[in-house]
Amino acid sequence: MSPDHDTSFIAEALPAFVSEAHEQLHSLEQLLLQLEQAPGDAELLNALFRCAHTVKGSAGIFGLDRVVAFTHHVETLLDQLREGRVSLTPALGTLLLQCNDQIRALVAEAGAPGADDPEADAARAALVQRLQQAGATGPGAVAGLADRDAAGAPPVAAGATTAGAPATGRRWHLAVAFGPDTFRNGMDPLAILNYLRGMGTVQALALDIDGVPPLSQLDPETCALTFEFALDTQATRAEIESAFSFVREDCRLHIVEPGARPEDFVAMIEALPDNPRLGEILIAAGAISRVQLQQALTAQGRAGEAGRPAAPLGRVLQATAGVSPQVVDAALAKQERQRAAPAAAAGGVPEEPRYIRVQADRLDAVINLLGELVIAGAGASLLARQTRQGALVEATTHIGRLIEDIRNGTLQLRMVPIGETFARLRRVVRDTAAELGKDVALELAGGETELDKSVVERIADPLMHLVRNALDHGLESPAQRQAAGKPATGRLLLSACHDSGSILIRITDDGRGIQRQKVLERAWDRGLVERGTVPPDPDIDRLIFEPGFSTAEQVTNLSGRGVGMDVVRRNIEALRGTVTLHSEPGAGATVEIRLPLTLAIIDGFLVGVGASRFIFPLESVVEVIEHRAAQGRTDDRGRSVVQLRGAALPVADLRLLYGLEGPAPERSSVVVLQAGEHRYGVRVDTLLGQHQTVIKPLGRMFRSLRGMSGSSILGNGEVALIFDVPALAALAADPPGRAAADAPPARRNPPPPPQREAAAARPQAVKDTQP
Amino acid sequence: MQSALCDLQPTRAPADGALALPSELSIYTAAELHPRWLLWLEALPPDGAPARLHGGAVDQVDAAGMQLLLSLARALALRGQALQLHEPSLVLQQACQALGLQAWLQACQPAPARPQPAGACA
Repeated sequence: MSPDHDTSFIAEALPAFVSEAHEQLHSLEQLLLQLEQAPGDAELLNALFRCAHTVKGSAGIFGLDRVVAFTHHVETLLDQLREGRVSLTPALGTLLLQCNDQIRALVAEAGAPGADDPEADAARAALVQRLQQAGATGPGAVAGLADRDAAGAPPVAAGATTAGAPATGRRWHLAVAFGPDTFRNGMDPLAILNYLRGMGTVQALALDIDGVPPLSQLDPETCALTFEFALDTQATRAEIESAFSFVREDCRLHIVEPGARPEDFVAMIEALPDNPRLGEILIAAGAISRVQLQQALTAQGRAGEAGRPAAPLGRVLQATAGVSPQVVDAALAKQERQRAAPAAAAGGVPEEPRYIRVQADRLDAVINLLGELVIAGAGASLLARQTRQGALVEATTHIGRLIEDIRNGTLQLRMVPIGETFARLRRVVRDTAAELGKDVALELAGGETELDKSVVERIADPLMHLVRNALDHGLESPAQRQAAGKPATGRLLLSACHDSGSILIRITDDGRGIQRQKVLERAWDRGLVERGTVPPDPDIDRLIFEPGFSTAEQVTNLSGRGVGMDVVRRNIEALRGTVTLHSEPGAGATVEIRLPLTLAIIDGFLVGVGASRFIFPLESVVEVIEHRAAQGRTDDRGRSVVQLRGAALPVADLRLLYGLEGPAPERSSVVVLQAGEHRYGVRVDTLLGQHQTVIKPLGRMFRSLRGMSGSSILGNGEVALIFDVPALAALAADPPGRAAADAPPARRNPPPPPQREAAAARPQAVKDTQP
Repeated sequence: MQSALCDLQPTRAPADGALALPSELSIYTAAELHPRWLLWLEALPPDGAPARLHGGAVDQVDAAGMQLLLSLARALALRGQALQLHEPSLVLQQACQALGLQAWLQACQPAPARPQPAGACA
């Protein structure tokens, strides 16, 4: 390949590297945090090492020397951790997390190279020094490195002899099955073997010739090569693995350490990928070689031919190849489990879910087009109904169903679990708690709950602020907690679930709750509430979301970063979400965030009042009942109460609430809606049925309209306004006169646009969707 | 690449029906060699006589090329035919050695002739 070719390859592939490296680093961070909960977990340690190693390896391809050089030090320490020569202390955990941040910064720099920063270089050098202190001289150095929080956890010394031990050429056993894409990725197993020869002596190298398919079945560019060999070398495991760094993702590599005991083989068998044959399991674990297996099988065959009952392979292997019974038992147990598993999973090796990376822009373009398709489909369907031709109506109905399926499927593509966003907060909680000297146990629940990617991205920041706020203001210090008769360790629960068509995220702490007196005094000081006035408790709690509010006696560098809770609320409301706070003084507080599942298209329920059309999100619609004119008293804002199956149901009249023109018809209906925990009814003139609603933003003129969340264009070109059900409930629940007296002018209830204006609003709404 | 393509041409030594291995036996030529070798294999008389390969011209080998060669050997074995590899070049011998195929190479040598001493056919 020419240098030009290389340069263009690197330019093209670099963004992919940066994105994948970030993923690896994210996993690395999560693994580190998990490891702190379960120190010494071999799988976690291995996974950690692999992450760092992958980042280093791929950074090497792109010539990102700084990343390679720095990550190498991290990798060395992780290797020592893995081999038990160094143990994980809180101080070491912090150091590794800081190093992870450093690598992330270096990778980001690679994506957008800037000038050298001597300060950053110095910081990096300091980290390297600390890494070396922590590792090179063994466990003692970790204690030396230990800062205040490591004092209670002395490191465990374990075989610290290998680091500088004189070389004796230890024998490793390797089995490697190169992945099918090895050749296509430009890698050559021959070159890798030759590289290994540079490290030591390769002995008893065997290529599995039978594993190569015959010519007619061969894809000449697909690699089917498997090798087994011994390697006499002084190199460490990391160094041996580094020979495979460019194929590591793709190949199956098993390394058995020098002087491995039966227990090591047992552990390796447990860790092996699923493979149902006993012999293969043992070969892959390095317990026997293929040759030994062949001999054992032959011996077993001979016994069978001689008329004697053939001994089980396991026993033959013990006799001929000297495999320890313990190892055979482990292999047999694994084999047994694998036989049982496919039966449960209806056969075959369970496949891992496969993924395709798609540019978000392309997906958004498809979803925009889909929105247009839904509108056009609704238009066609309307025209078809007007023609009253049965076949045509049926055809458009069928198309409509298909469009709906496509819509659901496409929107599903953008749904991602919120768990990843939650997991990111682990680090925030860990660091924040350490900074504040608080002790916190974070619990996560409902991480598998899915919501639209764009929502997930935009909720991360508000969540982080809420979590910080809970740690900073909600949870007490351990001493204060104990004085209050609570366990010293605070509890922070982050949960997500689906709830009547939206996502409910809760942040619950068991701290001191909202200190209402303090909040009130601050509100008086700031002029948010007239001095001396004491609003109801929920209103006091709500004050913390008001602009310019802070109760921290000293503005800490955590919550005092200029981003207040008002910004959090604004961000959530921009997502058509709501945030509410429930507090129990002394026992804790819960912040509830309610978010829509998607921002693009919803199932709507179309209704008419006079000449205006409105849409309720279908998930919020519980039922529809007939409205009887003579029922109850209606106040001047159109509010009344009806009896629904023995219970009182508050009903709002849209005509009066929004001052719509036109006389009320004789017959009307009440749409019963679910807003959070409450139900209420809305009186409308006509029911127009279910409607696939493409949400368009409200034009700037109508942003101040209360109770509305967006607009939609109907098939006939009319504009319908979409209700925000909880906001409409809040609007209808306002005490009489309050809206007029308290609300700023923009938040008073302006009449919805007459039809003329709505038509004028259409180009505006359409324009908003243009890229 | 261009030169490698030219080298693909003499795949069949007309005199004895033997297959002449090209100078480049690698991932860059494997896809083009594969169909030719399949044709050659089909054209072989199924008389059980050993199939003959000439390896003297090989001067670039990688694992993909060796895999193709092994695959040919496997196909022949399934037909019950032996493979005779004549005059393997030094590069080819070294590749066999590096991949743990010395015994295989030994078995592929025509009975009377011993492998060329290293360097003889380079």
